[in-house]
Amino acid sequence: MAVQGIWSGTISFSLVAIPVQLVRAVEPGRVSFRTLHRKDYSPLVRTMFCPEEEVIVPADEIIRGYEIGPEHYLTITDEELASLSPERSRTIEIVEFIDMDEIDPIYFDHPYYLVPTKGGEKSYRLLVEVMRRTNKAGLAKFVLREREYLVAVKSTEGALVLITLHYSEEILAHEDISPPEAKIEADETSRIKESIKKMLADFNPGQYADERRKKIMALLEAKAKEKGLVEAPEVEEEEGEGPADLIAALEESMRKVKKKQ
Amino acid sequence: MAGGTIWKGYIHFGDMNVPVKLHTAVKESRIQFHLLHQRDGVKLQQRMICAYEKVPVPMAEQAKGFPLEDRKYILVDPEELEQTEPEKSRMIEVHEFVKTEEVDPIFLDRAYYLEPDTPAKGYIALVGALQEMGVEGICTWTMRKRAYLGALQSRGKILRLITLRYADEVISVKSLELQEFSLSEKELKVGSDLINQLTVPFEPQKFENEHQQKLQNLLDKKARGEKIALLRPKRLKPTAPDKLLEALEASLKKVA
Amino acid sequence: MNQKIVEISGKRLSIANLEKDLYPSFGFTKAQILEYYRRIGKFILPHLRDRALTLKRYPDGVDQDSFFEKRCPSHRPAWVKTAAVRLEDGGQMTFCLANDLETLMWVENLAALELHVPLARAGSPETPDSMVFDLDPGDPANILDCARVALILRDLLIQLQLTSYVKTSGKKGLHLYVPLNRQETTFGDTKKFSKAVAVVLQKNYPDLVTARMAKEYRKGKVFINWSQNDSGKTMICVYSLRAREKPMVSFPLAWRELESLAGRDDPEKLQVLYSEALSRVEKQGDLFQEVLEKKQQLPHL
Repeated sequence: MAVQGIWSGTISFSLVAIPVQLVRAVEPGRVSFRTLHRKDYSPLVRTMFCPEEEVIVPADEIIRGYEIGPEHYLTITDEELASLSPERSRTIEIVEFIDMDEIDPIYFDHPYYLVPTKGGEKSYRLLVEVMRRTNKAGLAKFVLREREYLVAVKSTEGALVLITLHYSEEILAHEDISPPEAKIEADETSRIKESIKKMLADFNPGQYADERRKKIMALLEAKAKEKGLVEAPEVEEEEGEGPADLIAALEESMRKVKKKQ
Repeated sequence: MAGGTIWKGYIHFGDMNVPVKLHTAVKESRIQFHLLHQRDGVKLQQRMICAYEKVPVPMAEQAKGFPLEDRKYILVDPEELEQTEPEKSRMIEVHEFVKTEEVDPIFLDRAYYLEPDTPAKGYIALVGALQEMGVEGICTWTMRKRAYLGALQSRGKILRLITLRYADEVISVKSLELQEFSLSEKELKVGSDLINQLTVPFEPQKFENEHQQKLQNLLDKKARGEKIALLRPKRLKPTAPDKLLEALEASLKKVA
Repeated sequence: MNQKIVEISGKRLSIANLEKDLYPSFGFTKAQILEYYRRIGKFILPHLRDRALTLKRYPDGVDQDSFFEKRCPSHRPAWVKTAAVRLEDGGQMTFCLANDLETLMWVENLAALELHVPLARAGSPETPDSMVFDLDPGDPANILDCARVALILRDLLIQLQLTSYVKTSGKKGLHLYVPLNRQETTFGDTKKFSKAVAVVLQKNYPDLVTARMAKEYRKGKVFINWSQNDSGKTMICVYSLRAREKPMVSFPLAWRELESLAGRDDPEKLQVLYSEALSRVEKQGDLFQEVLEKKQQLPHL
């Protein structure tokens, strides 16, 4: 397996349990620039800063807080969050299946791939194949970090794709923007259908290149030729004592080596 | 109520021009947390810190660079970057129409509702035509200095625009290097029967964000000063490959 | 047009600009580069296998601008294998994997003269297969000083029951590899260990060695760059060409050979040209094979 996981656990349906890992399915294509310090071209890193003590705060001194009043917070730890829905943070339990054609695409939020981990390959392939044959998706609830998601698990090209869904209450109503009632002439509709028919094609997302990315790459090539590159200073790794017995063993060995020379 | 109008444009293909207004279609609801400094409970701020000098750097001293080798960059002016931005246009240009079932949901990103602007007749006719033919339009448009690719869909009485990811932004299944595995027809049949037995109509409204409620309860408990019990999740035992058929048959028995 | 279609293992590849001279002062065309990599293919491929490839491309030759390419070009043929690896900033990038000759040829067609790989394989990016001591000489120190340091390192490591292997960087320095090939090893281990070794060596040979990266400490000394033992860093792959005036190769040296060359006075004798590389591998095989296979454990951690 060549991908690193975001989460690992089990996906289950009825009495079948499949060990899996959740991995990214999407990689943002936008050209990413780093923000640099104008002075020395050193890259800037986004960090958390305490405005009171005026210091950079490392990860182990940070805690989540929920605001219950002006500058008044309730703190909550990761363990407390995980223990809200302990099973759902370890298992994606598919409780029902639905026909793919019935899902309104507006519900889809973010996709991930599920890949089988050791021992789960056969059951994984079975689930992929039967969902493909029946054109169905499995629905489940799943907790990742501090959020609980409603997810659809479907098969695509031989893999399981997990797509988080929006909750119904998050889909806004649209009655207020509906068009007024009006009678449409039959020939108007057939005129439009004729236009559409002329433009029917197979779905091929690969053909739409990201025009802006191409322009940016061209700009970068030109700039590199014209102005060359800037270089940031090397950041030395923190000095620190090595493990005591390693140092001792090395010193001892060093003595022996020197004696031989 | 749909969100406010965020953009105005017109759908164009052939000799059709349909003026529309864009609204957000989804509003996420989640409990917001802030990050605090553990020892004094102060709310933390995000700052850009210089990796070399280890001090915060104000906006005026920041520049943009495209990273190459470990420490080399191509410096870029914000004005030059702006020149690569797409030309302003109000047109949602439809390039082709595809069958709805061909658009794999893995490409779908953000959804918008389209409200008919005046005149609305073309809009209403288009809603009908798309549904009758079971197709969606693949289109491109520019909004807020960014170029978008999207699918123009018709649902109920309205049109919707869902942005699509570019093909190279979606990681290919091939890169996952999944193994092929042979399955017996029996396993596939029992598996399919099981899924069909567990199939229900799609009723998303029956799913509530229970986690939110649990989280709220937890926060209320903490506010009252009550002790919180920490529970450890159990891991399910994976089904062994040679026990798969057995598990499938037992499951089918349970639900049939 | 200078273009031709070749077929390797049933896969078709279009090659262009074959007559373009990418080493203008020496005279070494793209066709010759492809030929070199084709002939060294058998020996370099095991060292490239399943490693997230960073290409250093010189489309206009070694005198002109080059660029590092980590993201596998999206216009690749369907048969090019890739791996998605999580980056330090939480993002993800798709890298090419040169797992077969046809991919190696495709990559070389992109004028990727230099092939850089991480110490870990793409499937387990936090597990280094070996620990490396990157020896970099600070002017006026040179490769002969690196050779002295390499021999001291070798002897020190033997005391700790660790066998090591050395190769030229193809430029100014030497790279010493300690194969580990154990699932349990982490970059945390190798970094800690190599840093301790570097510091001890600096202490005992202060005029020859430094473990500090800052330029002011490196003048006239050999810098042991222990911080290369990191999941985010890459090393030039053994048998890769270097983009210098002459097509030199990062080539493995037997310890006996290094001992005898270190005693002489000619730093150039340690450099291996592409033609020499090809004849040597035919005769002696892959001197770096053990780096991929030998299992060793770092003690005292």
